[in-house]
Amino acid sequence: MITLEGLTKRYGGTLAVDELTFDVQAGRVTGFLGPNGAGKSTTMRMILGLDHPTRGRALIAGRPYADLRRPLCAVGAMLDARAVHPARSGRTHLVAQARANGIPVRRVDEVLERVGLAKAARRPAGTYSLGMSGRLGVAGALLGDPPVLVLDEPVNGLDPDGVRWIRRLVRDQAAEGRTVFLSSHLMSEMQLTADHLVVIGRGRLLSDTSMTDFLAAASPASARAVVPDPEERAALVRRLVTAEGVSVETSPSGELTVEGRTAAEIGDLAHHCRVRLHRLSDVRVSLEQAYMDLTARSVEYTTGGSGADTTAAAAVPNEGARP
Amino acid sequence: MTILTTPGERANPARTVPDTPGRGTPGGLAGAIASEWTKLFSVRASYLCLLAGLAITGVFTYYYASIARINEHPVQPVGNAAASSAVLVQFAVVVLATVAVTSEYSTGSVRVSLLSVPRRHVIQAAKALVAAVVAFVAGTTFAVVGTAVAWVAFDGRASFEAGPSLLQVLAIGLYQALVAVLTVGVAFATRHPAGALSVLVTLLWALPSVLLGLGGPALADVNDHLPHGSGDHLMRLGAEAPYTPATAVLIVAAWAATAHLIGLCVLRRRDA
Repeated sequence: MITLEGLTKRYGGTLAVDELTFDVQAGRVTGFLGPNGAGKSTTMRMILGLDHPTRGRALIAGRPYADLRRPLCAVGAMLDARAVHPARSGRTHLVAQARANGIPVRRVDEVLERVGLAKAARRPAGTYSLGMSGRLGVAGALLGDPPVLVLDEPVNGLDPDGVRWIRRLVRDQAAEGRTVFLSSHLMSEMQLTADHLVVIGRGRLLSDTSMTDFLAAASPASARAVVPDPEERAALVRRLVTAEGVSVETSPSGELTVEGRTAAEIGDLAHHCRVRLHRLSDVRVSLEQAYMDLTARSVEYTTGGSGADTTAAAAVPNEGARP
Repeated sequence: MTILTTPGERANPARTVPDTPGRGTPGGLAGAIASEWTKLFSVRASYLCLLAGLAITGVFTYYYASIARINEHPVQPVGNAAASSAVLVQFAVVVLATVAVTSEYSTGSVRVSLLSVPRRHVIQAAKALVAAVVAFVAGTTFAVVGTAVAWVAFDGRASFEAGPSLLQVLAIGLYQALVAVLTVGVAFATRHPAGALSVLVTLLWALPSVLLGLGGPALADVNDHLPHGSGDHLMRLGAEAPYTPATAVLIVAAWAATAHLIGLCVLRRRDA
């Protein structure tokens, strides 16, 4: 488990990380979200003892990182996959880390095999593609078979196969009871991978909740229905809009988008009114949409600068934003 | 929706950290030394530095002895050629130790290193020790080669006694080892090769040249307390020295220790 207690980092006048307090629990994948510059990487570096907090502390299984005697056997981390000496082979890069922590060298070959780098192991790391560097980084994180994994943007530069591989790997690690804390700005990927979400913006905690609750809370239930008969459609709309908090939009093709009702509720109502439906489905809110809603709202009631809005929007690629 | 955590729900760490897998070599300083050794000898730059040192030794001692023979200098201990070559050869050690530190910063791999060895004094001690051992072995080897080359080139204008020559070889090795420790400290303090080399070239070469070039007993006295000035008194035989070899060692060691502490201070305080 990772524990943050009032973790704060100030660079000159800017507060990069502001009083972060949360736990990352074992046995599940915790996603770490936030716009660029929100302080995700700084937070991870402080957890790993690389940057010094201005105030507060970060503990791994109750101890600061620097107090771990064999840190690689307690925490596996990947921050920047490219941070390898280009002239050193991937294998030697890992051997140096293994030696520092009393990990037998045969374990290096095991993890290289596991990440699919066995063939390229003795080539200089400078010749690796971004995807191969990512795999080497993951190999380094797995080296000490640690109960805690901290991964900063692990799918960066990986091909679709690699992305699926990472997803399975972290899910398996969590299923084995390990603590997995990973950041990513790929919302669709995060939605598939994480069980729990920690969202920060401008260094402050915006949300610490399960994926399900996050999605549910982000937008009220909504559903789509196709009613072929115009009269029945009008009747159904009349019945729907009488309720508090329900709004209905009708598309030219006759499709209804109902906010504030689930598909089940609409189905029951249609049955009750003897209205024929051709299609009925819940609108699943995407993590991306939920996240955008949250950051947009948080911008309003935090410092309210107009600059923050663009920061939040810039963090997420816009294509496919709508569900 | 739930904004912010509930700080009351802080479960105690259920899982203990298994940081003693009970197999393989020990971690700690021994592990850090093994790790640094692996890193140093897995890049070509280290071998190139050592080869360059060997080449400079050969050329320098050959010329030193040839000039002494041609100009009919008085007979001197043959090891003085190797001792004099240290003024240039030390930079092979300086570059080797500088690159060992600064390449980690330029590639960002210093973060990987600090993840495996998070205690700053341990990683710095490991780097300094490895560099010192390599510099000692290289320094003594260079000295033996330099002495042999010079013996040929002196062609009779030098004296050889086994005991003093052996001590001289060891003194050269010791000086190079202390230069390596000094360099690692400076490199950790500056983090950039340009910065580190500027400081070290000034301290080990430019400043002594200026002080001796300007002349006068006061400036010579200052030079006697700089690393290379005192190192020269340690390595060279037959010239009158203002202090004993032990004092010379202490002066060089004090410079190395100061640089080490400054480097450690920076390494501890600054973010990686």
